[in-house]
Amino acid sequence: MYKKKKKKNIKIIREFGIILAIFLIVIIFTIINPIYITPYNIISIIEQSTINGLIGIGVTFAILTAGIDLSVGSTFAIIIVFVGKLLVSGINPILSIIIGIGLGFALGIVNGLIICKMNIQPFVVTLGTMSLYRGIAYIFTGGWPVLDIPKNFRMMVDGDILYNIPVSIFILLLFAFLTHILLRYTRFGIYVYALGGNEEATRLSGISTEKTKILAYGIVGIGAALAGIVMLARLGTGEPSAGQGYELNAIAAAAIGGASLAGGKGSIIGTLLGAALLSALKVGLIVVGVETFWQYIATGLIIILAVYIEYIQSKLYLKSLTVSKMR
Amino acid sequence: MRNRSMIKFKNISKIFPGAKALDNVSFDIKKGEVHALLGENGAGKSTLLNILHGMYTEYEGDIFLDGQKVNFKNPHNAIEYGIVKVHQEISLVPELTVGQNIVLGYEPRKGQFIDFDKLYSQSDKILKRLRCKFRSNDITRDLSIGEMQMTTIAKALFHNARVISLDEPTSSLFGPEVNTLFEIIKELKNKGTTIIYVTHKLEEVFQIADRVTVLRDGKYMSTNNVSNVTKEYLIKNMVGRDVSAFAVRNRPRRFEDKVVLDVRNLSVIPYFKNVSFKLRRGEILGVFGLIGSKRTDVVRAIFGADKKNSGDIFINGIKKEIFSPEEGLKNSIGLIPEDRKAQGIVKNLTNADNIGLSCLEKFIHFGFLNHNEKKINCEHFMEKLNLTPKDPMYLTIQLSGGNQQKVVLAKWLSAKVDIIFFDEPTKGIDIGAKQEIYRLLEDLAEEGKSIIMVSSELPEIIGMSDRIIIMNKGRIVKTLNYTKFSEEQILQFAMEG
Repeated sequence: MYKKKKKKNIKIIREFGIILAIFLIVIIFTIINPIYITPYNIISIIEQSTINGLIGIGVTFAILTAGIDLSVGSTFAIIIVFVGKLLVSGINPILSIIIGIGLGFALGIVNGLIICKMNIQPFVVTLGTMSLYRGIAYIFTGGWPVLDIPKNFRMMVDGDILYNIPVSIFILLLFAFLTHILLRYTRFGIYVYALGGNEEATRLSGISTEKTKILAYGIVGIGAALAGIVMLARLGTGEPSAGQGYELNAIAAAAIGGASLAGGKGSIIGTLLGAALLSALKVGLIVVGVETFWQYIATGLIIILAVYIEYIQSKLYLKSLTVSKMR
Repeated sequence: MRNRSMIKFKNISKIFPGAKALDNVSFDIKKGEVHALLGENGAGKSTLLNILHGMYTEYEGDIFLDGQKVNFKNPHNAIEYGIVKVHQEISLVPELTVGQNIVLGYEPRKGQFIDFDKLYSQSDKILKRLRCKFRSNDITRDLSIGEMQMTTIAKALFHNARVISLDEPTSSLFGPEVNTLFEIIKELKNKGTTIIYVTHKLEEVFQIADRVTVLRDGKYMSTNNVSNVTKEYLIKNMVGRDVSAFAVRNRPRRFEDKVVLDVRNLSVIPYFKNVSFKLRRGEILGVFGLIGSKRTDVVRAIFGADKKNSGDIFINGIKKEIFSPEEGLKNSIGLIPEDRKAQGIVKNLTNADNIGLSCLEKFIHFGFLNHNEKKINCEHFMEKLNLTPKDPMYLTIQLSGGNQQKVVLAKWLSAKVDIIFFDEPTKGIDIGAKQEIYRLLEDLAEEGKSIIMVSSELPEIIGMSDRIIIMNKGRIVKTLNYTKFSEEQILQFAMEG
């Protein structure tokens, strides 16, 4: 019983650590420049983290299975141009959104199928589809952006509801809530964690690890699709070149949030906080007036530091639990 | 000279958060002796070795090497002092050659480059001494587990160790290999090397050791000359209770005539061919064979873990196609694999999740998983199988080997399977837990479960089986119905076919 309590405490501390880091960043930037704490700026921080948050939540599923998805930025671009074209050709916004989500899911499933059926490492597969999907996005529009996205769609997805808070934030929160439930309260969720911890043992427990994996990549695709839809609404144009490098930001958010690239460890809340931390930092550096080049340096250092703190924390956690480990 | 102490442990204590792994342990290891360290899992044997080899640097007490106080900062430091540990076979790098593994970290050099000629000639010399049939330029991955274990021993010899410790070295060796190992140990002893031999196999203590120290629950129990002690005395020291007989059936054998599993002409090329047998309700069917007999491959194929080439499987008289473990489970089969850590348990899951993994659908209501029911299920089996600690939220990876085995068994019992394949049910498990596993096997057979027990431990096969299938090089060479099984007879079939 004593160990159980201890474990819960540490778990609280783990997410508390990221929240604390966010607070620390906020306080430091506020001291340097009080403009940082204004409501307008805070909303802008949250707004900035929606895209990365949506992609990051998706990528968390791939990471939990001990895989990775590098193709999310390209999936994101395909959704942007495809849904853009649908809207421009006069198709109902809600239907367009549903088709977009479905397409994202399908592109993710394709990744999962190649990984499982052809037995190729996820890194290599999604490195391939990253280029493949990007090519599709360009060919689809002939390289041109999709212009004049209808206003009603833009208002529906990214318009303000109350004060200056845009709808897209609620899309992020809803997606986070649903995926959290999926991970914690369904068989699929437990299988995802089990698969990431020990794929062979999970398979030998009579579980279809293939189905689980393929579906996990499908959810990665949904995350990228939702991000694409939000981006399209926000900008009002659909660029086939959009989203380059987004996969790395998403992986960074998951890693900062405590996801282990070795698989089996990570959470939706963690990734969400990781994305928030990154954008709090980014906006802060801009507000304070740090040069762009130095922003890269600061972001890089924070990623490494955050993951290192996570490592120290889990080491302490193990130490507190270890009773018979080395005996 | 023989009586000088080589290593002296003085008041060694090691505290892990939450438990005392070693409690004020003091004893001597004499120069040039084979000193057996005996104890159940969790007795503190490995912890003591880890301290000696510089793996743990924080502990209380002192270690004296040849009269000098030492405090190794890391394993490398200990090797410099001539104290070498023979690791498990999994510590080898599979992609490297045997020779490269033997000298790893201490490669002979020619200028800035590795001197491969010297590397292989040095390694081959050691392998020859160990009477190994494989060569130092073989790729390690292609070796059998027994051969890998010999490679780890070669690695220790390479370092010209003054003190060599072996941690359960025979758990993956068989027959002739064990004999070779024992001859090597004697040879090393004659040359003045001190050997620390960690084991829980009592016979080995009497075969090889000069003196034996028993640890129990982190406490020092006794040190004796092997010639002065009896088996019963050592067991009493180890477990604190008298274990006179363990691998035996206490109740009458009474399996039914009803055939639950009928395997006909099963083949997995190139491993085994035309394997046919029947398993009855309430029966424990022992499958025995030497390493390379492919006994594990047979049960894996039936369960659906590996692809089959041909053959039919009938379950309760109905022909079934089982192409995946998922279908194995659907047909009420469960597999408890030999390699528990790699194939049995999921390291990041708690006991509740590991035990519930194969039957999560039982805890789903309206699409949502009820964690509380999963926990209750876990608690039920923790009680039934006497798991310790009885905490559903405990990570399974942190349990002892015997308790991990019980978790894997509980997983299949939760899923209510009728046919259980036990691959090396007591491998790497201490005597106390072995005894419990044997009693569980008997209980399960009595409840009407049908069990295939694959094992390389003869006493276990003889004591527990209702019938015995003997395999040799991928064929069933003999099926013995229960009479009185004789060890010699079984070994003869297994070796000669």
